[in-house]
Amino acid sequence: MKRRLIALLTAGVLSVSMIPMNVFADDADAPTADVSSEDENTLSVYAWDANFNIPALEAAEADYQKNVNPDFKLDIITQSGSSDVENAVTLAGQSSDYSNLPDIVLFQDHYFQQFYVSYPDAWLDLADADIDWDDFGAEKLSYSTIDDVHFGVPVDNGTAIMAYRTDLLEEAGYSIDDMVGCTWDQFIEIGEAVYEKTGKYLLCMDGSGNDLPYMMLQAEGESQFTDGEPTFATNEKYIAIIKDIVEMIQKNVLYLGNDWSDYTDQAIIGDMVAGVLNGNWIIPTMEQATENSGKWEITSLPTLEGGEGYASNGGSSLYITGNCSKPELAADFLAKTFGAGSTETYDAALKNGGVITCSISAGESDVYQEGVDFFNGQPIYADIVEMGANVPVIEQSDYHYQARQYVGTAIQNLVAAGEPTDESVAAALQDAQDQLSFEMAG
Amino acid sequence: MNKKGKSVRAKERRAGWIFLTPATIMILVMSFWPMIQAFITSFKSGKGSLLTWANPWNFNYARILQDKIFITSLKNTFLYLIIEVPVMLILAILLAQILNNKDLKFKGLFRTMVFLPCATSLVSYALIFKSLFATQGLINQVLMNLHIIHENINWLGTAGTAKAIIIIALIWRWTGYNMVFYLAGLQNIDYQVYEAAKIDGASPWSTFWKITVPLLKPVIVMTFIMSINGTLQLFDESVNLTNGGPANATITMSHYVYNMAFGQGVGHFGYSSAMSFVIFIMVAILAFINMKVGDTRD
Repeated sequence: MKRRLIALLTAGVLSVSMIPMNVFADDADAPTADVSSEDENTLSVYAWDANFNIPALEAAEADYQKNVNPDFKLDIITQSGSSDVENAVTLAGQSSDYSNLPDIVLFQDHYFQQFYVSYPDAWLDLADADIDWDDFGAEKLSYSTIDDVHFGVPVDNGTAIMAYRTDLLEEAGYSIDDMVGCTWDQFIEIGEAVYEKTGKYLLCMDGSGNDLPYMMLQAEGESQFTDGEPTFATNEKYIAIIKDIVEMIQKNVLYLGNDWSDYTDQAIIGDMVAGVLNGNWIIPTMEQATENSGKWEITSLPTLEGGEGYASNGGSSLYITGNCSKPELAADFLAKTFGAGSTETYDAALKNGGVITCSISAGESDVYQEGVDFFNGQPIYADIVEMGANVPVIEQSDYHYQARQYVGTAIQNLVAAGEPTDESVAAALQDAQDQLSFEMAG
Repeated sequence: MNKKGKSVRAKERRAGWIFLTPATIMILVMSFWPMIQAFITSFKSGKGSLLTWANPWNFNYARILQDKIFITSLKNTFLYLIIEVPVMLILAILLAQILNNKDLKFKGLFRTMVFLPCATSLVSYALIFKSLFATQGLINQVLMNLHIIHENINWLGTAGTAKAIIIIALIWRWTGYNMVFYLAGLQNIDYQVYEAAKIDGASPWSTFWKITVPLLKPVIVMTFIMSINGTLQLFDESVNLTNGGPANATITMSHYVYNMAFGQGVGHFGYSSAMSFVIFIMVAILAFINMKVGDTRD
């Protein structure tokens, strides 16, 4: 009896202890770097998207080889997703052994603050790098700057686009001019008309990673955080925004997918929507619905009181890791390619990977002025760079994704509860805020 | 003679220990050491690598009771447990009984078919269920064509149906696994016992309850403990089928532990470890009760 109990307890403990171990088992196969065996002209870098950011890195490598050092080699180590890079840093930081990290990592901007707080030794700053920081959108840099010290060199541009299907708007009796600078209330009204006439939703989002609250609040120039503390329930604009989102879902203006693939594959590529609002990296996904080429146009976001709103979401920058064996070469490479607004790097990055810069000088190049067929000949790249310069800088938090999670849950609860009131929205946001404060206290 | 026998036994014993040593050391280093580490970590707080001793010492454990999401995940997990385990085990025992029939043809084929779900990986079967029950998925299409429903149901996006689908998926995946244990148990029951019962005029129903179930009792207790243990640590289905949603309606305890540690980037390893140990204690208590109830010897 006793022996059986012990055996059982042992089995129990064994399986409990398996939980965190599984996680590391997942990325055991991910290719890793070995900076100690590199020659003096080689840098290794982690990146994850063969159709997007890897062509941008290849462009920078070619640029640096041509104009600075012909012997230079960039060893691009492809990861299966951005989470692989995050897991690699977590693993290294948690074991205090950084030797498996490459010289440089491409890292998601929204995650950087959190990872800097948790693993300060994993990063090298760019204080001495010769980079004209004023050439970049201030909002983009706010993610990668800590106490006025720069850590990241921007690669892409996270500026949010609000894209509309002009043909569907027309069918419902509207045009894109009605949408530019409209209020969210007008947006809902038009959205209802569009759904009634065409059966398509005017807006869509991934319900399990709902970025709408963040972007809509940024377009108002405000943050979910004040001095590091979450202030959801006391912000009247935020309450109004969440109420609008809930109403949009209930009135079939907004399609909230169950998860990411529901959002991209079914809603966007599956042609269920007449509008898309997200960081401009969503464009390649939209372009997969080739039958709608030429019917889309992009503009800025609606706002609560009317007037054009600007926001940003996602995007990534290049960071030098604490394991970098040649910090001077790494800083020089970054400073003379992405950091210098080099048209050679950025033009090729745009052409080969669709990566849009947030360097103001690089955005003036001819390639950026070309019209794009999918968007009815609109020069969207120049437009996006221009919109990017208008995105308000708001307080960033290392709890960005947790806030998104808790507010997303609040929205789902509100949708299930029926018609929202100011009080019910405030109460739901208070719950979300309490839950986040609870987590932050740990 | 006597002396020699002893030394042979001592030699055997030593050989036994030598064979056991590598595995023992591996288990100690790979499993028990991390467990001790996790236990120590559960008394620390802070983010990522910046862990300090929690103040007061039971800070993480005291937090668990105030954590609304943990309570939600606890309720979800016990709901799965209470519904899924009995249904699955009853189905398994019935299937085993049917497949144990001597006169049944294609026995091997049927056994393989019932057991096959266990051979699929947890992630891939979860993904298959996900696409079956997607808003534009097969189930909705079939129901629409049969005119049972008039518009697509968002199975995984609605709290009630999402829970039901997780339970259905679990039953599909694990019934065959438990059935194999019952089949093995049934084959150990001498057929003569059944023949004797038949001669005495026992109905199949009372044969099942008076012979099969009592003789299978050790196996039933074992499958119960394994199922409880497995369900309390449910992870893959919650992560891959629903990602815990909508609004944490389907999140399990282990999934929440994972979320707190790794889900949103950098985590609260101290708090996660504390929750893991709470789950461990729950498994131990339930297993202990189960064994007490199932053990007829004392």
